[in-house]
Amino acid sequence: MTANLTLVLTASALVAAGVYLLLERSLTRVLIGIILISNGVNVAFLVTGGRAGGAPIVGVTEPARMSDPLPQAMVLTAIVITLGLTAFLLAMAYRSWQLTGHDDVQDDVEDAAIRRLAESDAGSSSYDDTDDDASPPEARP
Amino acid sequence: MRAVSLVPLPVVLPLLGAGVALALGRWDRAQRAVSLVVLMATVAIAAVLLVNADADGPLVVWIGGWPEPLGISLVADRLSALMLLVSATVTLAVLVYSLGQGVADGTRNTPVSIYHPTYLVLSAGVANAFLAGDLFNLFVGFEVLLAASYVLMTLTGTSERIRAGTTYVVVSLLSSLLFLVAIALVYAATGTVNLAQLSGRLADLPDGVSLVLQLLLLTVFSIKAAVFPLSAWLPDSYPTAPAPVTAVFAGLLTKVGVYAIIRTQTLLFPDSPLTDLLMWAALLTMIVGILGAVAQSEIKRMLSFTLVSHIGYMVFGVALATAAGLAGAIFYVVHHITIQTTLFLVAGLVERRGGSTSLSRLGGLARASPILGVLFFVPAMNLGGIPPFSGFLGKVGLLQAGVGSGLPLAYVLVAGGVVTSLLTLYAVAKAWNLAFWRAAPAEILEPASAVDAREAVRARGAGGTPRNPASDQPAPSPPVALPAAMVAPTAGLVVAGVALSVVAGPLFAVADRAAADLLERSPYVESVLPRGAP
Amino acid sequence: MTLLLLLHLGLAALGPVVMRVMGRYAFLVLALAPAASFCWLVAQSSQVAQGGSVVEVVSWVPSLDLELAFRLTTLQWVFALLVTGIGAIVLVYCTWYFDADDEGLGRFALNFTGFAGAMLGLVVADDLLLLYVFWELTTVFSYLLIGHRPERRADRRAALQALIVTTAGGLAMLVGLILIGNEAGTYRISEILAAPPTGAAVTAGVTLALVGAVSKSALVPFHFWLPGAMVAPTPVSAYLHAAAMVKAGVYLVALFAPAFADIGPWRPMVLGLGAATMALGAWHALRQSDLKLLLAHGTVSQLGFLVAIVGLGTRSAALAGVAMVVAHALFKASLFLVVGIIDRVTGTRDLRELSGLARSMPLVAATGLVAAASMAAIPPVAGFVAKESVFIAFVDVGATPDGDGTGIGPIVAGIVLAALVAGSALTVAYTARFAWGAFATKRGVSATEPAPVAAGFVAAPAMLGLLSIALGFAGAAETALIEPYAVAFPPGAHVPDLALWHGLEPALALSVVAVLGGLALFVLRDRVERLQARTVPMVDAGRAYDTLMRGLDRLAVEVTGTTQRGSLPIYLAVILVVVVVLPGGALVLGGAWGVDVRAWDVPAQALIGGLIVAAAVLATRARRRLKAVVLLGVTGYGTALLFLLHGAPDLALTQVLVETVTIVVFVLVMRRLPVYFSDRPLTSSRWGRLGIGLLAGTAVAGFVLSATSARIAEPVSEDFPAEAVSFGGGKNIVNVTLVDIRAWDTLGEISVLAVAATGVASMVFVHTRRAGIARPAEGPTIAARRRATGDDYRNTWLRGGRTLTPERRSIIFEVVTRLSFHTMIVFSLFLLFAGHNNPGGGFAGGLVAGLALMVRYLAAGRYELDEAAPVDAGLVLGLGLVVATGTGLMALLFGGEVLQSAVIDLTVPLLGEVHLVTSIFFDIGVYLVVVGLMLDVLRSLGSGVDRLADDDEEGEPAEREPEVVGGVG
Repeated sequence: MTANLTLVLTASALVAAGVYLLLERSLTRVLIGIILISNGVNVAFLVTGGRAGGAPIVGVTEPARMSDPLPQAMVLTAIVITLGLTAFLLAMAYRSWQLTGHDDVQDDVEDAAIRRLAESDAGSSSYDDTDDDASPPEARP
Repeated sequence: MRAVSLVPLPVVLPLLGAGVALALGRWDRAQRAVSLVVLMATVAIAAVLLVNADADGPLVVWIGGWPEPLGISLVADRLSALMLLVSATVTLAVLVYSLGQGVADGTRNTPVSIYHPTYLVLSAGVANAFLAGDLFNLFVGFEVLLAASYVLMTLTGTSERIRAGTTYVVVSLLSSLLFLVAIALVYAATGTVNLAQLSGRLADLPDGVSLVLQLLLLTVFSIKAAVFPLSAWLPDSYPTAPAPVTAVFAGLLTKVGVYAIIRTQTLLFPDSPLTDLLMWAALLTMIVGILGAVAQSEIKRMLSFTLVSHIGYMVFGVALATAAGLAGAIFYVVHHITIQTTLFLVAGLVERRGGSTSLSRLGGLARASPILGVLFFVPAMNLGGIPPFSGFLGKVGLLQAGVGSGLPLAYVLVAGGVVTSLLTLYAVAKAWNLAFWRAAPAEILEPASAVDAREAVRARGAGGTPRNPASDQPAPSPPVALPAAMVAPTAGLVVAGVALSVVAGPLFAVADRAAADLLERSPYVESVLPRGAP
Repeated sequence: MTLLLLLHLGLAALGPVVMRVMGRYAFLVLALAPAASFCWLVAQSSQVAQGGSVVEVVSWVPSLDLELAFRLTTLQWVFALLVTGIGAIVLVYCTWYFDADDEGLGRFALNFTGFAGAMLGLVVADDLLLLYVFWELTTVFSYLLIGHRPERRADRRAALQALIVTTAGGLAMLVGLILIGNEAGTYRISEILAAPPTGAAVTAGVTLALVGAVSKSALVPFHFWLPGAMVAPTPVSAYLHAAAMVKAGVYLVALFAPAFADIGPWRPMVLGLGAATMALGAWHALRQSDLKLLLAHGTVSQLGFLVAIVGLGTRSAALAGVAMVVAHALFKASLFLVVGIIDRVTGTRDLRELSGLARSMPLVAATGLVAAASMAAIPPVAGFVAKESVFIAFVDVGATPDGDGTGIGPIVAGIVLAALVAGSALTVAYTARFAWGAFATKRGVSATEPAPVAAGFVAAPAMLGLLSIALGFAGAAETALIEPYAVAFPPGAHVPDLALWHGLEPALALSVVAVLGGLALFVLRDRVERLQARTVPMVDAGRAYDTLMRGLDRLAVEVTGTTQRGSLPIYLAVILVVVVVLPGGALVLGGAWGVDVRAWDVPAQALIGGLIVAAAVLATRARRRLKAVVLLGVTGYGTALLFLLHGAPDLALTQVLVETVTIVVFVLVMRRLPVYFSDRPLTSSRWGRLGIGLLAGTAVAGFVLSATSARIAEPVSEDFPAEAVSFGGGKNIVNVTLVDIRAWDTLGEISVLAVAATGVASMVFVHTRRAGIARPAEGPTIAARRRATGDDYRNTWLRGGRTLTPERRSIIFEVVTRLSFHTMIVFSLFLLFAGHNNPGGGFAGGLVAGLALMVRYLAAGRYELDEAAPVDAGLVLGLGLVVATGTGLMALLFGGEVLQSAVIDLTVPLLGEVHLVTSIFFDIGVYLVVVGLMLDVLRSLGSGVDRLADDDEEGEPAEREPEVVGGVG
């Protein structure tokens, strides 16, 4: 089965652009990136269906000339799922703005604490209860 | 009604229930009733399926009665049925727990109208993932359970949960997109997405291509299963969710990934060239994970890291790809689902009773609440692989498999396995020393009254520690007495965990048979495509 | 034996209860468990003495060769007698040791009884894995017992230390046992001993098992945990040191010696570590001033001695070893109990403060002295008899050319023997120190005034003392009893026997040397102490352990700090890199390069493709949110065109609708978000992101090309057209696929939509998914305007418009809406019902309806929306799901498969022939869910956001952390 180069290139370009945005910090950008990638994946799905053809509708196109309906069905499912999740992520972005005034993805606090411990060559605060009222790691320099 | 026609019900019933629950948005009691009934039914059905699948081979349904291999096939073989039963049971227990929590907190303002439908959809998604006999449908199953998990993870949208949720959602979305790519490639190369059909067709592909497909699928599922280095998202996201949610996530979601790995690796890519790769991944997952647990000073996070670490055990079993290895992995999955869920529920109780899950704040719980002590100690030892508990049995199964395989690398994994086991014990014992043995802060000794309790919990939030935006620290909150409605289901799971050791004989036998089926492949393929793979 | 273990288990479980009911006398009840076991064992003696065995096997986990297999032969019998007998005695002793009001007695009772049970199981288990089960159980129980007073930090640390050290050894042992069992093909101990496997694996296995034994028995280098465990209550120490826990290691060595003593590393380990431990322990004991601690170090020393002799592996050594184990158990238990009494009645254990106890409590002193005599191997007590034959055994090794069958050369034998004698001398010395320290009247120390001692309190140690004496004279009988075990070893230089008098032999001389040397050391104790003060231990294993653990903790922190960056972009990058490296690498290396491509199907594709790429690239560079979204839209619509050109009208239609909805939703949200993306210096990471992006894109291209070119079979979908019509009753194959062939996917998909909608609502209305539905009459400005204009708003259509302030209204838009709304709804219904045969279907229809609502909202605000759809979105969603799933279940009830559809052709008046496919109901469900989703999105991100915005304008804070977030039930 031959591949449609145009579609392949379009798909890969969409993926590349999407990934570039995906690695951003602004949740809106991340989301745009995700949608770009999914568009790319959907285009790629067309390629896997083989040659272009007539609409897969009996009576309109004779079966031999039809474009493969199965990938279309799968893509349609994917599109709609993406729509739902897009809406949800946007709502999250809104909520994040509501709470913090921006929609930037922040780093995890606990991990940051451990990283600080590592940088200050300290042990974990739960080590061997050195002092019975150990201060939480967050509090450490 | 033939048992085989029960196969779709573990998915359909919860979805129906979810629909009803949504429609009944205004009537909390009705929602509770629906969820309970549906999940109980699911457990019963799963049990029937397991008995039948174990007795007379895989149960297969072609949805809509379409002639194979056109439509979508659902398959309940020994493995899926077993997974189904365990997950359904755990799901039910957690539901009861969360009901108890709701009752204890007073439901007027709890987002019950969101929780119940979403929770039901989650269980439907998990069931679908276990039953799917079709790669794309497996994807849909994943999406269902993930979508539900997104909502549950960010429930009540506190800033902490939004942050954690963002990590979780975006990572999952990326993995879903990769999964789609993999499916597109599989279809491109083989012209089908039916697993049974694929098991035949993939073999005919040039090795290069099939290896690409295998690695891609493996990567996707490893993200879900939290295999190092694809595991870092988990400890950042799970601990922030409400206790029951974290519990069911920890128990089920990663195991769905493990299940997918087991299924695809055995059915689609037999005699895989990736044994060594998987072994290294398993080793790193164990060690890095457990070191993470040792470094933590907060119970939920510590547990999340042990969760990651022990995924390594299962991957080890899969990597061996021997009957013993797979059986060990399967048994370990069953054990781990039960125990990890239990421990997170207990963590919820600790949070409630001790006002925090931070080891630097807790103390004296063993004296303050002996029952809580037992509820933590027993599953903790179980997780630590202390005999005669199931954790030990699963571990021995895997160690025997490793030694039995005689592979040089396997001995390294065996060593890594016991080290992990020791460090797990160290981590939980450390938590025990601090939270349960150390002299108690005054307020833990005399808990607040039920009324204050309710207020306290309101102020605190659904098992999740609210944080004042300035310094992201858990605000210490007055400890409260434990409601029986939450203790009972937890105790139930603890007992179930111990019972695993009692029924270990038959359980391991089922795992052995399931593993044999997986290696043989023909039972699965032939029952899905009786007329041979076209 | 199973029953006896269950008895222990049961009583342990009841422990706390009994304790609450009976107070400290409950110990007498608990003592029944070991006592009963003891009696049963005694009953077996005749059989065991004749070399017979008692066997029990209950199946447990056949898959793992893990069975509840128990076997009682001489060795097990002896150890079991000690475990149960001393266990019972100590429990009785507890009755007087504890006060009624002591805290945590219930816990203690449970743990102690459980501990005794685990120890009994350990010594009678006949399955390697089962042995390990009990082995670990003793570890855990000892952890809980040592941590009996956990508020004290030292206790917690000691408990944790004991747990970690012994478990570490235990796990090594587990691997060893598995290696052995794997080689032997069985885990049944009796079978393995009968036919010992050989080979490198076995050697490794046995060595690892020895590591376990060494750690359990606190031999060098693990000796430090045992003195630490002294923090436990004295009865625990007595049991731990005399009969339980530490004896497990000795037992394992004794158990394996007949089969594995000749394996390479065996003798170096047992003899080397044994001798070293004996000397080191004794040396430490000699400097202690706390009686209990003195005994503890003494135990370490004695354990080294025991392991060395038991592990030697000759017949006489076996006999002597077992005898020594018995003697040690007796005297060490009674010594600890005596110390316990002293501690309780005088309030101190410091030998510098005690004085004159020999006078004030003669009975206790007598007991102590008898035990001490046994420890120092002074005739005529058991200790002497045993140690005498130990010396004999080692003399044989040195004296016979083949080392009495061990193959040990005379020099090595000599060194070991010398070490043991020296150790014995030290033992005598610290024994003397103990006896003097505990009971002697010291100059300059005021006589201690002990409280009266209850008879029952002394009874226990006294009984043990009497046994020590008795055994001293019962050498012959003891020999006969132990013989069956000893004969497992090859016959040695001469037939061994236990007796007080073996004649003038070298062994006797050695005993004398040891005693005299020891006494000398005691007499010169001042010099010795000065010497000890000067010598600093070269390596302190305890400190080594601390360093190790701290190092581990640091390692954990470092590793976690490195791997757990907590940054989402990094996690995503890692995932993508893995994808590029693994599958991508496989693609490059695997050489799947049979690629054949065509430029395009129709040239237009290239044009649109280019457009899409351009838009995508611009989107990445956009700094304004709106701009980025518009460009995103371009790529979306472009994709729709590609679908159309490919011959996928349904796909194109859906894509267009979805894209439109997406953009509108984006805009709704971005009304609130800042106009520009918050810009930060990204240049550093930009190139990295660009690189990963390009790599990912290339990888995907590569994957698709190679996979597509590798197509090996006709797609399953080739049968779709025929089946769609005949079985699915529809002409539009894609739609038939969605609602019938793969309806199961669609079912999952709409549940995703339902949940997503719920999620959207939950993000805005944090505590409920129910958005209130308002009527225009309640609108803010309308009432005012009614007063102003006096018009009756009931007959005017698009009344919601009046709720907007004039400047927010757009007359043209309202008019357009007015014209379009009904048309759109009708069109959506057309799409729904026509879908089965023409492009369209539930999704398209639902989306169009949703867009109609969206237009209403955009035209005239949130009250307008509620006018257009005065229903709860949740209800619509729920209904949709119910209809869809219901359709599926219906088929089941009619005896079909789930979601099986039926084609019904019937004649309806007026309409004539109606061709009805039941899957249409499923599609209606889909339609409803999609509408519900749109409604929820509009209610939340539209109206909800409006409302919050209005509140803000009224001065409420935008920051609204949920005030109530109680449980999720």
